[in-house]
Amino acid sequence: MSRRTKSPSGVIDAPLDVAAQAKAREEGRPSVRDGRLKTYEPGANVGRFLELLGRRVSRPLAVSLTACVHCGRCAESCHYFLARPDDPTMTPVWKADQIRKIFKRHVDWTGRVAPWWAKAGTPDGDEDLNRLKNVVFGACSACRRCTFNCPMGVDTALLVRFTRGLLTELGIVPEGVFNVSRDQWETGNQMAVTETDFLETIEWMRDDLRAELGPGADIPVDRPDCDILYTINPREIKFDPRSIAHAARIFHAAGASWTLPKWGWDQTNFGLFSGDDALGAYVSRNLYEAAERLRARRIVISECGHGYRSTRWEGYTWSGYDQKLPTESIVAVLRRYLEEGRIVVDPGRNLEPVTFHDSCNIARSGDLVEEPRQVLRRVCADFREMHPNRQENFCCTGGGGLLAMAEYRPLRLEAGKVKAEQLKATEAALVCTMCHNCIDGLGDVIKHYHLPMRVVQVLELVSRALVLPAGS
Amino acid sequence: MPIIESEGLRIEVNEEGFLAHPEEWTEEMAKVLAKAEEGLDELTPEHWAVVRFIRGYYAEKSLAPMVRKMCQATGFPLMKIYDLFPSGPAKGACKVAGLPKPDGCV
Amino acid sequence: MSNLLRTFENEVQLAALAFMGLVYALRLVWIFRFRVGRERTVAVGREGAGTGYSLMNIAMPWAMESTRTHPGRYLEFVVLHLGIAAAIAASFIIPYGPGLFETAWVRGIFRAFIAAAGLAGLARLARRLTNPVLREISSPDDYFSLVFLIVWLAAGVLALPDRPAAGEGPLLAFFGLTAFLLVYVPFSKIGHYLYYPFSRIYLGRTLGHRGAWPPAAAKSAGAGPARKGAA
Repeated sequence: MSRRTKSPSGVIDAPLDVAAQAKAREEGRPSVRDGRLKTYEPGANVGRFLELLGRRVSRPLAVSLTACVHCGRCAESCHYFLARPDDPTMTPVWKADQIRKIFKRHVDWTGRVAPWWAKAGTPDGDEDLNRLKNVVFGACSACRRCTFNCPMGVDTALLVRFTRGLLTELGIVPEGVFNVSRDQWETGNQMAVTETDFLETIEWMRDDLRAELGPGADIPVDRPDCDILYTINPREIKFDPRSIAHAARIFHAAGASWTLPKWGWDQTNFGLFSGDDALGAYVSRNLYEAAERLRARRIVISECGHGYRSTRWEGYTWSGYDQKLPTESIVAVLRRYLEEGRIVVDPGRNLEPVTFHDSCNIARSGDLVEEPRQVLRRVCADFREMHPNRQENFCCTGGGGLLAMAEYRPLRLEAGKVKAEQLKATEAALVCTMCHNCIDGLGDVIKHYHLPMRVVQVLELVSRALVLPAGS
Repeated sequence: MPIIESEGLRIEVNEEGFLAHPEEWTEEMAKVLAKAEEGLDELTPEHWAVVRFIRGYYAEKSLAPMVRKMCQATGFPLMKIYDLFPSGPAKGACKVAGLPKPDGCV
Repeated sequence: MSNLLRTFENEVQLAALAFMGLVYALRLVWIFRFRVGRERTVAVGREGAGTGYSLMNIAMPWAMESTRTHPGRYLEFVVLHLGIAAAIAASFIIPYGPGLFETAWVRGIFRAFIAAAGLAGLARLARRLTNPVLREISSPDDYFSLVFLIVWLAAGVLALPDRPAAGEGPLLAFFGLTAFLLVYVPFSKIGHYLYYPFSRIYLGRTLGHRGAWPPAAAKSAGAGPARKGAA
């Protein structure tokens, strides 16, 4: 990596913090002991990195690494660059070039003959690998906006995830990534929620629900032969179970047959962020097997961008599991309920102006763009678009797992400039998103840029607009 | 790391505004954090009930309690926690109580 | 016409072409050695439609924000690539179908295209040299390829009257440079057209499979294998 390059953002020099790794080793944590989670060992990391690079690169990656012509058309598609237009290191092409030059030097024979000519190079020790870590984890939210704006079809976001995966194998990762991966490996969910905690919180929500809707209302756990296996984000259990209650009210009103699984309920997947396909496979397989165990007829994923992408799409590939059941977002279910008249809503209960923020992982790496809009138009009196929107929307700043990496927060918020401008221009009071990451990402942007707005999810708005049948 | 200076206190916090050294937490710091991070001018007895519970739980288990536990211990309904701490249990209450940033998507 | 020029127009070109073909063949073998994962999800959209959309991107300046907001750059791209195609075509027409260039207006059109491409190249070079962002990401190959193309296009304009009797210099220069171009291209960024179909097909196939491309309205069954009466 070029040392000449100035990095006014300062992110590139963030040190490698291995305190949590050392502690995990000392405590003999199971994930570290059995080698599922790698820790950093100083020494021969460059050699290992090159070996992994050569072994893991796939054809789509290889062509993305070869095809770039350095035209720079991607620069303006990146929210980091828009906030720091004088800083070349903020362009997607510069970031991708940091792995591209290593690939050219060591895998692609055209860069081996005259490395200087093609700007090919080798990392100069662990310090360079740490810089690479700061580029791919700290200066990119893997939102894939540049991919969609590349004339050559170079998938820079894919390259970033790939590079993250190589560094994760060496323990050269931000502390937050290590901690969350550890918890997800060891407890099956990324917030280390125990089964007792899980069941108690569900019971609590169930009691509240029955107090409102009567004894017939339920939040079933591990009930076999249901239509829907409902899977959630651990933060819904740990810090914000309101969304579980919203979903339960709506399922109740629609007369749905549904259940949560006792194990395999975490639809989030830090493997997507760390680039660790093995973790990705482990977490998603838990969920697919839960559906099989309970003989559910479809898997429904609560509102979560990366969770949706991981569970709906990437997880099947990571885990080598052929998709057997329909796998969909709760928002698609809500849309169907509205279309089929299974729930009745009154948009008069959501009078504030509402805008919608498309999650990167759903709009650009998934397939749900119109569905949330169709729902919002039914449940809100004043729905208005943000511009740009859909596949051209800008990241909330919290994508790519950045919310778990505190050290990169100042740059992340600075890069939120364009997001703040987008939000402000809508003059909406509520910004709705179907992603837990986006809730916090947008919340940070709103706080940092002093915007008079609040973040809500689709479930909350639908639940508020829900007209319950008389007698319930 | 950033420093918050107020009321004669110099508080070192991380980039997310969580205490850099959770063990150094004092009630005076809680007031400063509540003002700086949550915009709360005053901590009512209800705020203190939540904060003291979180503090005690953390001292015992080195872990942020689930919101379920906060409600059980204080007897507050869920919505009350959000009324008291606008940023919610994790980024609001736990921060004022001087806990390190909880891991994961928060 | 001298023997030297005849050799330049024929044997030298064919040798250079053969070399380029060989390197490209090796390059393709190299690309195909990388594995491709198997798709395990049930498609929401059509892979073919996504692939088609992805490949047609080149002709849809409205499809991407990056071209939509910079129509001038798109025009520059079209002009540059058409001019290069014209110059390549000329390198075949001169030895194998010289009759075509006996018509003045055909010659004129070719020269105009090639000259315009040269100007587009100059504009790109100026930007690459003056824009700090582009400078930071440019390699020596990026500069050289551009400078070389400009010189080669200029030679094309000068050679195109195709009148060896008036002096063989311009024709020798054009064919000499063309031969060098053919040999150099597979090792430089100019060879990007070889990768273009691959990168666009893989991206389009994935996004087509997921129903993200072509961008369309909501799908009725967007979750995989359909089951009657579920949920």
